[in-house]
Amino acid sequence: MSLRPESTEFAMPLLLLFVTGTAPRSQRARVNLFRTLEQVGRADIQPHEIDLLEEPKEGIKHSVFATPALMKVGQSGDVSVLYGDLSEAEPLHRFLSDLNDE
Amino acid sequence: MLKVDPEQTKLQKRKTGIAGLDSVTGGGLPAGQATLLLGQAAAGKTVLSLQILANAIERGEAAVFVTFEESPAQVERDACSFSWAGQLLSSDRWQLFDARPRSDAQVAGEFDIEGLLSVVGATVEDASETWIVFDGIDQLLQYQPSQRAAVEQVRRISDHCEAQGWTLLLTGKANGSRMAPAHLDGIEFLLSATLILSAEMCNHQLKRSLRIAKFRGSGHVTDELPMIMDDDGIELPFHEALVDSDTTASTERVSTGIPKLDKLLDGGIYRGSSLLISGRPGTAKSTLAAHFAEAACQRGERTLYVSFDELADPYVRNLASVGVDLRSPITSGLLRFVSLSAHSTQVTEHFFALRRLLDRFEPQCLVIDPVSALLKATASEEACMVTEHLMDLVRRRGITTVLTSLTGLQDPEGEATRGQVSTIADSWMVLDYNVRAGERNRSLSIIKSRGSAHSNQQRELLLSDAGVDLADVYELGTDVVMGTARVALANEEALKERRRKLERQQHRLELERRMELAEQERRRLEAELKLEAQESADAELMAQVYRREIIERRDPDSEIHPAQRGAGEGELP
Repeated sequence: MSLRPESTEFAMPLLLLFVTGTAPRSQRARVNLFRTLEQVGRADIQPHEIDLLEEPKEGIKHSVFATPALMKVGQSGDVSVLYGDLSEAEPLHRFLSDLNDE
Repeated sequence: MLKVDPEQTKLQKRKTGIAGLDSVTGGGLPAGQATLLLGQAAAGKTVLSLQILANAIERGEAAVFVTFEESPAQVERDACSFSWAGQLLSSDRWQLFDARPRSDAQVAGEFDIEGLLSVVGATVEDASETWIVFDGIDQLLQYQPSQRAAVEQVRRISDHCEAQGWTLLLTGKANGSRMAPAHLDGIEFLLSATLILSAEMCNHQLKRSLRIAKFRGSGHVTDELPMIMDDDGIELPFHEALVDSDTTASTERVSTGIPKLDKLLDGGIYRGSSLLISGRPGTAKSTLAAHFAEAACQRGERTLYVSFDELADPYVRNLASVGVDLRSPITSGLLRFVSLSAHSTQVTEHFFALRRLLDRFEPQCLVIDPVSALLKATASEEACMVTEHLMDLVRRRGITTVLTSLTGLQDPEGEATRGQVSTIADSWMVLDYNVRAGERNRSLSIIKSRGSAHSNQQRELLLSDAGVDLADVYELGTDVVMGTARVALANEEALKERRRKLERQQHRLELERRMELAEQERRRLEAELKLEAQESADAELMAQVYRREIIERRDPDSEIHPAQRGAGEGELP
């Protein structure tokens, strides 16, 4: 059995945040993502949260096993992933920079 | 106070199904814990992991393989190189997850692997019946911004395994001369067990080994163990559990196939013992070994004949020319002839191939011709170890073994000693040439024969179309005479013997003649004696008659007239 994400399924929402319950890094990621979206003026985007403790199969489906991880699905179906608790502002800003173009 | 049951607390192990690994670890890898498997690229980490899973599947257990480096298709291709691929990949108890981080993945802070543990946990129905592999987890953990965070994740996996009873293999790539991946320095001491695989080039061939760097709470072999990888996967050829030897030392003698040689060996070699025949090229080592094999097959014993660098057909044909028939037992299946190429592979792999042949054919007799070929194989510094293991193996299995060993032209006893075989073999005979008076004759001498009275004298070895035979010994001073000199000496001996025989015959005839003469004389004397006795008896009778007449004549009452008395006196009756 081999599984890779079907990236085209997620034209919307644009952002998927993979977390594991209330783990400290997952908590920090939620806060950091929310704050940064506000900063870049895209507070309208509601990231879809996937808790792998609740939905482990989603991890297999999207091939995401490290949490927290932020997955961005572009309009054309291209997928990119940012690992970590999103505490490093610069890579997070860079990752979200093209949201305003969507 | 909490009481601790040592039996319950003691480290529990789970068999990997790899006989050598289970043997050196004393029963397998830690059950309900994580084991770290480190090694350079192509050292065999993935194969070892897959093989352990295949063995688990075969036992009816489940297997979960999470790949962080190779694609699932590549993992399946890896498995397909081995004999157990089918049963692994087709099993519904086999799960393969693609956990490769995306090639364009970015990082913004530390992450953890709770998600991974959760995903895998959801697939594990019964941890005690499941083996899990995280293959190349360093490929994911390298994205951790700090080494501390990466190492912490490995610790987290270890704790999780212990809590959930997972038996897990965690593989990681060694970093140059260091055992652990660069960003996971120190993890080799973190888990309760760590195996290090290595693959180094040695004489243009890959030399594999496995070392148990750590095994907390368990005795284990600490050496670097030679490892091979063939169609059946990975094995530690020298470390499979040895069969407890229930073979008692046999007193039965087994023929070498050459009656006169058997006689020299006090009846042959002991069943289950080993005989080394060493000698220079052309001294008839193979022919002698083949005689043994032929005799074994004639007794109805399964015989494995391993020839290095010689093909079966010409080998068997050449032996037929000296009266040894191996074709018939090969056809009947009693003799299995295996031709191996010494150069083609490493000595360790040769040993493993031999071991598998012994496992499958279960011979009662074995011939390896020549065992010295192992010295030609690459990584032959291990040849001594191989021969020792081989001898130990055949001895434990009670296989009567004949090994030949090729020696150098200048050093007839040298190479046999280099290979250590001569010290291990129970019996050792050296074949050589004896050059005298322009002749080169083959000779045989028994150097040692444990537990047997044996002749220490050099014999001449005769090779004819009827096979090998030994010539009777002729001594000349302190030397043993061979070839034409032996024939001349034999003729001289025969002449002398004939002369001695004639002389004895003449002497007997002379005595008989003299006895006949004596008998004739005895008979003549006897007749004479008889005649003499007759004459003596007649005289006595006449004397008696005369005396009676005298008495009567002188008697007055006698009726004889006196005139007659006088007249009759002195007359005979």
